[in-house]
Amino acid sequence: MSLLGIGVVLLVLVLIGIPIAISLGLVSVLAMITGPGGIGSIPNVGLVMFSGATSFPLIAIPLFILAGAIMNASGISRRLVAFASAMVGFVRGGLSMVSISASLFFAEISGSAVADVAALGSILIPAMKNKGYSSSFAAAVTSSSATLAVIIPPSIPMILYGVMSGSSVVELFVAGIVPGVLGGLMMMFVAYLLARRHNFPTEEMFKLARVWETFKEAMWALSLPLIILGGIFGGWVTATEGAGLAVVAAVFIGGVVYRELDWGHLKTAILEGGTQTAVVMLLVAASALLGDYLTEVRVPQRVAEGIMSLTQDRWAILLLLNAFFLVIGLVLHSAAAIILVVPIVMPLVLAAGIDPVHFGLVVTLNLGIGQQTPPVASVLVTACSVAKADIWEVSKVNVYFVAVLLAVLLLVTYVPSIPMILVEIFYR
Amino acid sequence: MTLTKARTGLGKLLEGLVLFLMASLALVVVVGVVFRKSGASLVWYDEVASILLAWLTYYGAALAALHRAHIGVPTLVDKLSGNLRLLVVLVAEVLVLAFLVILTWAGMQVLGVLGGTTLVSLPWVPATVAQSVIPIGAMFFIAAQLLSLPDAMKHPVSEPSRAFPDAGSPTGEGVQ
Repeated sequence: MSLLGIGVVLLVLVLIGIPIAISLGLVSVLAMITGPGGIGSIPNVGLVMFSGATSFPLIAIPLFILAGAIMNASGISRRLVAFASAMVGFVRGGLSMVSISASLFFAEISGSAVADVAALGSILIPAMKNKGYSSSFAAAVTSSSATLAVIIPPSIPMILYGVMSGSSVVELFVAGIVPGVLGGLMMMFVAYLLARRHNFPTEEMFKLARVWETFKEAMWALSLPLIILGGIFGGWVTATEGAGLAVVAAVFIGGVVYRELDWGHLKTAILEGGTQTAVVMLLVAASALLGDYLTEVRVPQRVAEGIMSLTQDRWAILLLLNAFFLVIGLVLHSAAAIILVVPIVMPLVLAAGIDPVHFGLVVTLNLGIGQQTPPVASVLVTACSVAKADIWEVSKVNVYFVAVLLAVLLLVTYVPSIPMILVEIFYR
Repeated sequence: MTLTKARTGLGKLLEGLVLFLMASLALVVVVGVVFRKSGASLVWYDEVASILLAWLTYYGAALAALHRAHIGVPTLVDKLSGNLRLLVVLVAEVLVLAFLVILTWAGMQVLGVLGGTTLVSLPWVPATVAQSVIPIGAMFFIAAQLLSLPDAMKHPVSEPSRAFPDAGSPTGEGVQ
């Protein structure tokens, strides 16, 4: 079966509404039957679909989701918001600053932008609406800052990227820190300008006593993720083991320190997280099936050779890949995009001399922006449903914040030292 | 009425499995770290954890199918209406089921071939125990697919039934 044939059949299957994972499976079966092995090769489907789902590094995904779910069920969001409000609430448009800074902190626990929006948005969006912020502004700022937070460790897309590209998850995590903080500051600046234009209120006077009081409440929530990340960055535990410790830490904080673990909510969140993990893992397993075939016919190498024959300029190739991933992000969920596309473009990335860790940040940001742009915009949709706001109205405000995300993307792409500086200092 | 009952029953069973597997996964990884750090590494820890992830994948995938929460591109199907939409939905359904039947069959073949082999790190556990998830998981997936078909025929694909209404985010979209 020709490569074009595979592409066409896959597209048709996906467009008639068959889940992507099953479409990949069907196409692979078809390619196997028409290939040299014939019907006799079908039992391989069972073997590959099993081994494709047994990846030790990917265990970090359900564990970080589990840790986030437990923390969220134990009142951590409320404490983070109180602490952020004491720190930055005195600025005009203070609640939007709170939303951005709490998002960046929360990202250290959950690793997922949708979880971030659902947890913080449900507290902050109603609060902003009460203070006279428009619901579109409230949804936009929550949605965009959650996406920015995905490049701050731990990050589920980065774990996926690390596994699919064969690069170090730890180095990817470290590379996200500087661009994440930089982007957060830029986003606060934009929120400040918008707040002045619309005359949004300030929250509270800056009082050191209040900062201390809220810090004591939020301290556990803030410090344990940092210790766990420290363990991962220091090489003491692997990312997966760190995720396991995060679960223990979350149970300890929720059950022993805060004593307000809400079991009903927790069970729901674990089921949700388990299902999400399974959905992504099924894609990983099914892509292993097609991946075997694509490697056999050397597709990734041919893509690399084709593009390299047009241009060998690293910056031009980065521009091309940026445009490509932005378009992919418009129509595909980021997990699916990483699983499907990263293995195919990796040989090109390596041949062009682009550092795979640097490229990981570029991919994560590109697909993050895709979450903010309809038609497929999971994070934006979640924020809109929390705010009960129209997706197009929100998008009109969100343009400013998406511009910040694009600016971060350009900086990360063309000034590689921004993501790579900490990696170079500590790991190379 | 019996259809609803069957759906609820299957949902409860799969939810129980997913809860158990998530908890076991966390426990195995934590116990593994503790033992490694105390100088007595457990040989079976990575292998067992990886197998648990594969189990979570297939039992969770069946649960996701029950709620029609797998990642797809429903834009085009949603634009259709009437009999044409019904036709496309049914064709897609038959193809999905065809793949799952192939997967079940392939999984059974693998079990037959593996026969007496065992896990690398735990020689007393037959490899067939680990691999059994493929045919069993695929059969659960088929059941889930069939039980959720009546609703899928009625509603637009892009609005999957909210699997866990109070969880705050639409299923299948969280890992972003």
